[in-house]
Amino acid sequence: MERTTTLVTDTLPEWAAALCRNDTATLRALYKMHFPGVKQYVLQNSGTSDDAQDVFQEAISVLWLSVKEGRLVAGTDPGGFIYKVAKNKWLDVVRSAAHKHMKVVHDERSMDRPTDVSDDIEDRLVRLREVYAKLDDKCRTVLDRFYFERKDLAAIADEMGVEEESIRTIKYRCMMKLRAVRNVIRGEENEAS
Amino acid sequence: MNKGNLDRVTFEAIEAYVLDRMSTVERTAFEQRLANDTALRAELELERENIHAVELGGLSSTLRTIASDLQATERAKGTGWGRFMAYAASIAVLLMVTIWWFGRPPINERLFADHFTREPGLPVTMGATDDPAFADAMVYYKEGLYAEAAARWMPLLEKEPTNDTLLFYTAMVDIVTDHGTSAVTKLNTVAQGTSIFQSRARWYLFLLFVERGGLAEARAMGLETDSVYGERVRHILSQLGE
Repeated sequence: MERTTTLVTDTLPEWAAALCRNDTATLRALYKMHFPGVKQYVLQNSGTSDDAQDVFQEAISVLWLSVKEGRLVAGTDPGGFIYKVAKNKWLDVVRSAAHKHMKVVHDERSMDRPTDVSDDIEDRLVRLREVYAKLDDKCRTVLDRFYFERKDLAAIADEMGVEEESIRTIKYRCMMKLRAVRNVIRGEENEAS
Repeated sequence: MNKGNLDRVTFEAIEAYVLDRMSTVERTAFEQRLANDTALRAELELERENIHAVELGGLSSTLRTIASDLQATERAKGTGWGRFMAYAASIAVLLMVTIWWFGRPPINERLFADHFTREPGLPVTMGATDDPAFADAMVYYKEGLYAEAAARWMPLLEKEPTNDTLLFYTAMVDIVTDHGTSAVTKLNTVAQGTSIFQSRARWYLFLLFVERGGLAEARAMGLETDSVYGERVRHILSQLGE
């Protein structure tokens, strides 16, 4: 799907606009508010606290990417969205071969995926992680601070004790590495299809 | 799309667009270029995804940090107040045990409570009906939302008053919501039929009779020799001095 417009955050609810900016305080608030419900569900269904952390973090990532890609349906409640995605993720885990010995008595229905989540969004998360994994530590450090933390080049240069122009060059080269990786992946996908 | 490197000026223009760091004039001009340049649109998509990949890496790392911080906060709460609360809880438990011992229910109610286990419910994907209202109600039932389950099942039961599945599960709702009389009526109907719920309906009827002190009715169920429930039935009757 081609998305040629940049998300206009003015029309988003405050929490979604904050997610778009990768606002850590908002992430922390969402975590604090909505993790207990997910944890309770997972613990009640043969899971551990660590399992709950995993599915919760995946669910919040799905919410985040949905917001980033402008796929969020108006009026979406973030808590309800996270809970539904996390619940589906945990049911997938429980139904998997490794967990077939578990006794599942809770909610075997073909779960209603949140209507505002595109079917492929979880696959896209996997692909994005594969791409990120190709970066070396130096690239990650610079790119994380610039793109995720939204720091400016001068601040990053100051933190790392180098010239601003060096950071700008490192950023460009690292992104070109990613671009090359993506082109290789696209080529492989085209050959496969 | 160019397979080699993208020139730095174009790269940074796309970056500014994706990160919403363009002025209105710059944005309008850039969008005009996009409208007429397929290759630029492809570069925009690629760069946007690469930025998302980097941001996702940062997001994952941040979420792990938040989880770790919240766990540390929970543990810290557990060391100070937690110790005090543990002592307070011990005293409270002692008091509650004393109150419970002197105020515990009669033996027939205790036996019911000891042996009654709510039916787990049907897997909805393999449900007895394709009716989505039934499936929704089953999900509510499994989640312990009995009023919601009953609100969806009861209209179906009015349409099909002899449906074994509906009778059986609405009886379960009646039992857990303390409407035993209604449950007895429904379970009697199921117990007289030949459905897969018949045997279980007889067991729950037995338990309801025990709970209500109807020992003669409980014995009349004749479940002492039942291959599934016989042992439990004999144990309950022996506890009641039968």
